[in-house]
Amino acid sequence: MAVPPHVLEFSSDDAAAVPALNALYHAAPVTSAPPTLRYTLIRIGDDAYVATSPSRPPFGPASFGDAWAFVEWRAIEDVLNDPGPQAVFVHAGGVRIGGRLLLLVGPSGSGKSTLTALLLARGHPALGDDVLRFAPSEGVFSAVPRSLKLDANAFHLLTLETRTKALSSVGTLLAAGCHYVSPVALCPAWESPPGSPWGVVVLEPAPHRGSAMLERYSEGEAAVRLLQSMLGAEYGPGAEARMEASLKLLESLGAAAAFHARGTRPSALADLIEEVAR
Amino acid sequence: MPVSAIPAKPHARPDVALRRVGSEWVLFDAARDRAHVLNLTAAVVWKYCDGAHEPDAMAEAIAEGIPAAEPAAIRRDVEDVLRRFAAEGLLQ
Repeated sequence: MAVPPHVLEFSSDDAAAVPALNALYHAAPVTSAPPTLRYTLIRIGDDAYVATSPSRPPFGPASFGDAWAFVEWRAIEDVLNDPGPQAVFVHAGGVRIGGRLLLLVGPSGSGKSTLTALLLARGHPALGDDVLRFAPSEGVFSAVPRSLKLDANAFHLLTLETRTKALSSVGTLLAAGCHYVSPVALCPAWESPPGSPWGVVVLEPAPHRGSAMLERYSEGEAAVRLLQSMLGAEYGPGAEARMEASLKLLESLGAAAAFHARGTRPSALADLIEEVAR
Repeated sequence: MPVSAIPAKPHARPDVALRRVGSEWVLFDAARDRAHVLNLTAAVVWKYCDGAHEPDAMAEAIAEGIPAAEPAAIRRDVEDVLRRFAAEGLLQ
């Protein structure tokens, strides 16, 4: 697999912070290359931290949650701004069920994060809930360094282990009122390797109505939705490379199944998604 | 969508790409940042949009592959598809 242009390193002098930082580390490819971007959380007192990143002045003193959110924000921005040769990003979730990678596509508020979190909490490893990297040369999707962003309703659907409650916090930097949840707060073995999609689930925009339903859907329409979810030209390659990436993205979906999901009960929808993917 | 005239020998824009996705096809028009989902008939019609085939010839060729289908119905389908291609600016 082509190595992204940057190797990220997250570290802290506080052992309690390391699991949360490790949750961001999955964007770093398996490589012996030295880190090129370093992010640190330095503890300076009771729940007082200073966060550092390559491209900004130090942030803090701040609570653990805010300092962690700062590190995540800087890491995702740094990765998005330099994704590597030809790579693009799509606004989608990704979960692997029984080895099959499902992409979750839908506008903000459609339930990508809630479903990703629910499925992850059931032991299905995830690529992410909101942004995925697509490498055209390999035709595979992979994770970016990002926590799950859950609103209060979604957050209360989940049972977080007491041990890992510290890994989630109410965000104040980017999404006030949202909980920034580390994947490890939901499932210790959360990481999913890069892969090609087995299926695409297109989610209805909010507001959600009626019983949970998962139906077969036009593969072409699902592919178009995924194309439309590609992040803007400010991230990634120029126009010609974006066209090439778009075609490769379509080709990566050549054998993928497509589903349309709707309904008010995310848990029931997660049941249905598990059922079709098994 | 406005009614568009069908060229005598429709010719696909060379910069528009066709890709198969599952049981369907997607035409990707990068210049206009648009994508169109095609069924089998529309995808076959697109393949015949080479500047050498007239709509009737396309319909005849498709009819040969679907003996059970009514030729007039196939001709109508082909014309509908070509009108859509023309209206979407996919032909040159």
